[in-house]
Amino acid sequence: MNERFKFPADREARNAARTKALESLLIEKGVITGETVDKVLGVFETKMGPFNGARLVARAWVDPAFKERLVADTPAAIAELDFPEGMAGAEGEHMRAVANAPGVHNLIVCTLCSCYPWPVLGLPPYWYKDPTFRARAVREPRTVLAEFDVQIEPSAEIKIWDSSAQIRWFVIPERPSGTESMSETELAALVTPESMMGVALPRAA
Amino acid sequence: MKLQHYIGGLGAIDFETRVFVEPWETRIFGIHVAMMALSTYLDLPQTPSIFRTVWTWADLRAGAEAMNPLDYFKFRYYERWLGGVSSNFIANSYITEAELDARTEAFLSKPDAATPSSGDPTIDARVHRYLVEGASPKRDVPFTPLFAVGERVTIKNVPAADHTRLPGYLRGKTGIVEEVYDAPYAYLCDTGPDGIGAPMPVYRVRFDPQTLWDKKTETGFSIYADLFEHYLGDAVA
Repeated sequence: MNERFKFPADREARNAARTKALESLLIEKGVITGETVDKVLGVFETKMGPFNGARLVARAWVDPAFKERLVADTPAAIAELDFPEGMAGAEGEHMRAVANAPGVHNLIVCTLCSCYPWPVLGLPPYWYKDPTFRARAVREPRTVLAEFDVQIEPSAEIKIWDSSAQIRWFVIPERPSGTESMSETELAALVTPESMMGVALPRAA
Repeated sequence: MKLQHYIGGLGAIDFETRVFVEPWETRIFGIHVAMMALSTYLDLPQTPSIFRTVWTWADLRAGAEAMNPLDYFKFRYYERWLGGVSSNFIANSYITEAELDARTEAFLSKPDAATPSSGDPTIDARVHRYLVEGASPKRDVPFTPLFAVGERVTIKNVPAADHTRLPGYLRGKTGIVEEVYDAPYAYLCDTGPDGIGAPMPVYRVRFDPQTLWDKKTETGFSIYADLFEHYLGDAVA
């Protein structure tokens, strides 16, 4: 086998040691502190994450006027809800929502790399960063979505949003049937990051 | 144009839904965010951090674009970050490669050894502030967009430089302007012959995939891309 495609046997142990070595040197030299990385990660556990997007989608499902406002002026609609600080923070300075509807399915991609709306969705999962997903989504979206177990009717239009400049896009999926009696909190629990990027459809559990 | 930006095929998708697949990946992510937050170009309170470098997404992305394309596809997302971030600290003399190698060996033999706990809290306060406030590239200055909604435009094939925000599959293709965004937007750095950096109009352009892929594609979908004005070429009838 060509050496180029080989990984060392201690690949992950070495990655871990090198990252820890880097962090420890940066703390020692006064670039960052011993708490900087933990504090960054804490923000994504408590303030910026897919739990925010799920709340927005659930509200949009129970309040059609809110859904309209969320599409028309995403930051203003987000500001109506009582979110923690940071909803126009890093990688969310200019967010826009697009709504699925009968006959219209939206799919978000960043063909260049991994642009993602951090305040409402947190950090991008690996599938979103996968070069193969990025390549195929813009060429054969129906096939790609079928592989994600999402079947789109041949008559429906798929709209693909390539996040190539300042806008960070996300999807308001359609409310699944069988959820009429659910509370907003129960509805939010059905909304996954994948459904807010367009590669999954929420289902009543 | 570089292979990293011309991705038009490939095989099976990795359906991994985790954000991080190894614990160390969280640490390199946090270091990168701190570097962006402590970058000297931001209008945020000074801290005792010795970081005096401009480090943005553009630097991380340019590093990935400078990789041998085979390595780009070989290494996992955060492995590329680890390479780009650590070589920047070495190139700017914050650390030496020998130091990093020696410390790596030390942690390889004692993986549970502690990292130092020192540091001034104003550093962390600045990092937090960057995260929750962001750094918008929008510039509220008068501007005169060259193109209008509904116009058909052909996308340029700008020279491949260190970094671009023009997807490879759109180069030389024709689309329709769907929206002229509300203000000029700057980019994180001057991309040289690629042509972005200074505040300029940004457009959402709709493309018919049949014209992008010479009909070797599916039907019933549209592609929308956000493109800086410099990437838009001539209006066509």
